[in-house]
Amino acid sequence: MHIPDGFLDLSICAIMYAATAIFWAFSFRKASRVLSDKQIPLMATLTAMFFAAQMMNYPIIGGTTAHLLGGPILAMTLGPYAGSISMTVILLIQALLFGDGGITTFGANVWNMGVIGVFIPYIVYLLALRIAKSQSGLFVGAFAGAFIGDVLAAVFAGIELGLSTLSFPYSVSIAVTAMVTHHIIIGIGEGAVTAIIVSVLQKTRPDLLQLPKLSPGLLGGA
Amino acid sequence: MTGVKRLLMVGIVLSSFFVVVGALWFSNSVETLDEVAEHFGATDSPIWSPPIPDYEIHGFEGNVMVNIAVGIVFTVIVLVSTLYRIM
Repeated sequence: MHIPDGFLDLSICAIMYAATAIFWAFSFRKASRVLSDKQIPLMATLTAMFFAAQMMNYPIIGGTTAHLLGGPILAMTLGPYAGSISMTVILLIQALLFGDGGITTFGANVWNMGVIGVFIPYIVYLLALRIAKSQSGLFVGAFAGAFIGDVLAAVFAGIELGLSTLSFPYSVSIAVTAMVTHHIIIGIGEGAVTAIIVSVLQKTRPDLLQLPKLSPGLLGGA
Repeated sequence: MTGVKRLLMVGIVLSSFFVVVGALWFSNSVETLDEVAEHFGATDSPIWSPPIPDYEIHGFEGNVMVNIAVGIVFTVIVLVSTLYRIM
C-alpha cells in the first residue's frame, strides 16, 4: 500500500501532509511525556519487527502479494500515538533508503497506514472489549479492528488516488473499488495474525496488553 | 537475562526470521497497489534516488544472501535508532 511519487497530485499530497502533521504533533508531544521505561524497548522491538515483517510479502489473489501492516498490533500494545510514531519511523526509513513509498506521498502513506491503520483498529478493539469483556471479545476485537483498519486504509488510498485527477485519470469509485477488492483479503490475513498475536500475548504476557495506553482521553488513554 | 534484554532478543530473532522467510520465499510477486496501478496505467515518477532501491544493493541484484543481510542489518538499525532516539 506504499504509494510512490507520481501517483498523487501535489495538492492531494499537501493536504495529506497537513492532515498527518496534526497527528504527528499530538503523538510526539504526548509520547515524549508519557512513554514509560517498559514501553520504550517494546516500542523499539515492535518497530523493528514490523519493519522486517513488511519485507515478507505473502501471495494473495491474481499473482499479487501483500504484507502485514502491523499498525493494529502496535496500537493494541503501545496505544495509537506511539503506534503511529512507530509506523512513521518504518515508513520514513522505507521511503528514504529503499524507495518503498514516495517522498511527496509520505504524508499520505503515514495517514493511510500510520493514522487510519493504527487509530481505527484501536477504537474497534476497545469497543469490542467494552461490549464483550471476555477472551472472545478480545479475539473478535483484535480481528475486527485489524480487518476494518486495513480496509479503511485501502479506502483512503483509493480516495487519494481517485481525487488525483492529473496523475490518475479514474474516478474515486473505480480507485476505491480496485483497492478495497484486494485489501479485503489482506485485511483477513492481518486480522487473523493480529487476533492470534493478541490472544497469545493475553495468555503469556498479559502485562504487555495492560500497559497504560498512550491515547486520547476519550479512549481511556494516559 | 533481564526482561528488556529478553524482549530485544526475541524481537531480533523474530525479525531475522521474517527477513529470511521473506527473502527466500515471499518476495517475488507484484504488490497489490502496483498491480492496481499497472492495470490503470499509472506510472511512478520518483523524485529521490534511494541508496538501496527495492531492498537490493547495486551489483548484487537477485542475490538472496545479500538481501537477507541488508534486511537484518537495517532491522537492527531501526531497533537501535528507535530505542536511543526515543530514550
